[in-house]
Amino acid sequence: METYETIKQWKEQHISSFLDSSKSLNEFHDQVMLKVLKVALRKMNKSPIPCQFTWFITGSGGRLEQGLISDQDHGIVYLNSNGENEAYFLALGEEISYGLHIVGYPYCKGNIMSSNPVWCKSIEKWENQLMQWMEDESWEVMRYLQIFYDARQLFGNPENLVRLKKIIYQYQLQNPNLLKRIAANMKHVKNAIGPMGQIMVEQYGIYQGYINLKYTAFIPYVNSIRLLSIKEGVFENSTVDRLEKLSQMEQYKKLLKHCKSNFLHLIDVRMTILNAMNYDDTHYLNVKKLTNDQRKEIKKVLKDGKSLHDHVMALILQ
Amino acid sequence: MDVSAVVVLMDNLWVAIGAILVFFMIGGFILLEAGSTRMKNAGHIAGKTIFTAGIGTLVFWAVGYGFIYGEGNPFIGLSSFFYGDYSAADGGLTPAVDFSFQVMFALVSLTIAFGGFAERAKLSVYVIFAVLFSAFIYPVVAHWIWGGGWLADHGKQDFAGSTVVHLTGAMAALAATMILKPRIGKYNKDGSSNNLAGHNQVYTALGVLILWVGWFGFNGASTFGVADGFLGFVILNTQLAAGAGAIAAMFTVWAVTGKADVPTTLNGALAGLVAITASCGFVEPWAAVVIGLIGGIMVVFSMKLFDNMKLDDPIAALSVHGTVGVWGTLSNGLFAVPALSTDIGWGQAGLFYGGSFTQLGVQTLGVVASGAYAFIISFIILKVLDMVIGLRVSEEEEIMGLDISEHGSYGYPEQMEAESVKLTTAATIEK
Repeated sequence: METYETIKQWKEQHISSFLDSSKSLNEFHDQVMLKVLKVALRKMNKSPIPCQFTWFITGSGGRLEQGLISDQDHGIVYLNSNGENEAYFLALGEEISYGLHIVGYPYCKGNIMSSNPVWCKSIEKWENQLMQWMEDESWEVMRYLQIFYDARQLFGNPENLVRLKKIIYQYQLQNPNLLKRIAANMKHVKNAIGPMGQIMVEQYGIYQGYINLKYTAFIPYVNSIRLLSIKEGVFENSTVDRLEKLSQMEQYKKLLKHCKSNFLHLIDVRMTILNAMNYDDTHYLNVKKLTNDQRKEIKKVLKDGKSLHDHVMALILQ
Repeated sequence: MDVSAVVVLMDNLWVAIGAILVFFMIGGFILLEAGSTRMKNAGHIAGKTIFTAGIGTLVFWAVGYGFIYGEGNPFIGLSSFFYGDYSAADGGLTPAVDFSFQVMFALVSLTIAFGGFAERAKLSVYVIFAVLFSAFIYPVVAHWIWGGGWLADHGKQDFAGSTVVHLTGAMAALAATMILKPRIGKYNKDGSSNNLAGHNQVYTALGVLILWVGWFGFNGASTFGVADGFLGFVILNTQLAAGAGAIAAMFTVWAVTGKADVPTTLNGALAGLVAITASCGFVEPWAAVVIGLIGGIMVVFSMKLFDNMKLDDPIAALSVHGTVGVWGTLSNGLFAVPALSTDIGWGQAGLFYGGSFTQLGVQTLGVVASGAYAFIISFIILKVLDMVIGLRVSEEEEIMGLDISEHGSYGYPEQMEAESVKLTTAATIEK
């Protein structure tokens, strides 16, 4: 019988054969997590399951952009709201989080897990919560809103998520201020290129001389493209798919011209970080080990990312 | 009382005020050094600075002053020990005013040297080295340049002590840094370095401000009088260079790392002050700005360089007082104007004015000779001490902090005792 331990072993044995592309790696992660869900459901020892539900992952997993190691970000939407269901799905959420942790996806520091009542709700309560978040507009919930927008169903009906995301799209059409609030939330990015055109590396610590790809490279692209997707009602999950949709729109053709190739390059670069021992490791690239051409290429990607971010900020905040 | 007598009294008063201002710089160093290091060593740093000032004073009184200004040879003075000249002013400074001013410089140099010992040296080493430095290192260099020694004969210009005070102190700090090795946790196995951040940037900033104010005495009273109001010009140059140093360091560190790092900015102000110390009485104000700016830029790269060389310098003494001390001394050779050098018989004008390398050569000789002497003698003394009693506290003492290991109580008792309870509890639970 499959257990978290056997899944862990299976994962460790097989992951190396899925490292040739980001796509296959992400499909592999999906497979592993679904196995965890199955074990968790079995351990809940309740059949049939009280009602229909959708289990989603979000963050980089939601966007199909996970690296070698990734922490867990996930949530649950279930159909019928009642006390019994609430207790069941929260308990299931706890079981899933525990299982993922055992299998090698560390607990999410921000508590974005199905074990957290904020991320485990009936669809009706999810609708209310999203409305509350959008009306509230506080700094923290703007971040939740963006995280939710990256949600991707791993199990259950995907329509539930589309229905919820449409609420966000519709709301911002009526309330343009929402996009401004989200923009303000993501305004800060870690500067990657110095005033003298140099790549800015970490000054101290074990990553001295490395660049933090997550904060300097991925985030400007991911956040900018997500914001445009919310604005235009693009419900694709991955940044690349979102980019494809957005690039077809006349108003973004020029802005997004090199974005897709840049972003794909970035994903390729991250796939080369194979000696990662923990989640942090997967984000850091050793600049000293790059050839001149590689350095030029990454510099272009970083510069374009910053410029994209600046343009999107100007567009939304104008 | 005639006017000239009044002027003599004013001269004495001004230099006495200068002595007080320079001594107050020790307070600046306490805050600078304590702020730039960790909480567990704060009491120790404050306390040792005070008692080594005491040691330095007595040693300077006993032999230091005599080695500098006594009758002797071009290498060392050999009279006026156990200084006790209480004669009155005779057209100039009273000997006691002069002594008071001089002893403060020796204490500043000593305190700079101890910057290189921070957070890991034994208390006993502070005691012994304070004696030896104040007797055999600082006075010798001071004699060469200020006491009529062989470098003074060459026309070496060092208005208030870029070489004598700052470089000498920094060279001793360098020797200590090399022998003591980096603090625990400063470098990782793969060679990368960690930022062992100081515990209080506000202390560090106040320390810099106090030093800055003290520097008006350090440089301003090095005029040894009030004649022609020249002290105002010296203070003006000092102020300009300090400001320029702070700005230059902030912009440089921002350009290099993307962040306007506060400790680096503060070191930039000090770099401007150190840089102008040699030349404050020889150069025009625009040149003071340039000298300060270059000092501020240099300090940023120098700190990085020492870090890469695995020389762990918690309070940047090597960069601020050493690297920039050298620059300050050499800057005379570039910017000294004829009216303040050749025309008054104090060396030659700088390269940009006199058109020759003469003064630059003299300045270079001064830096190399003084720097080498201070470094070699310090290194020998510390190496011997290391072999005989050991310079460094044990690992356990270093981890618990020198406050408790060397002095038996914490500078921040509530904070540190709470920390140690946490550690003990964690250890118990793990068992």
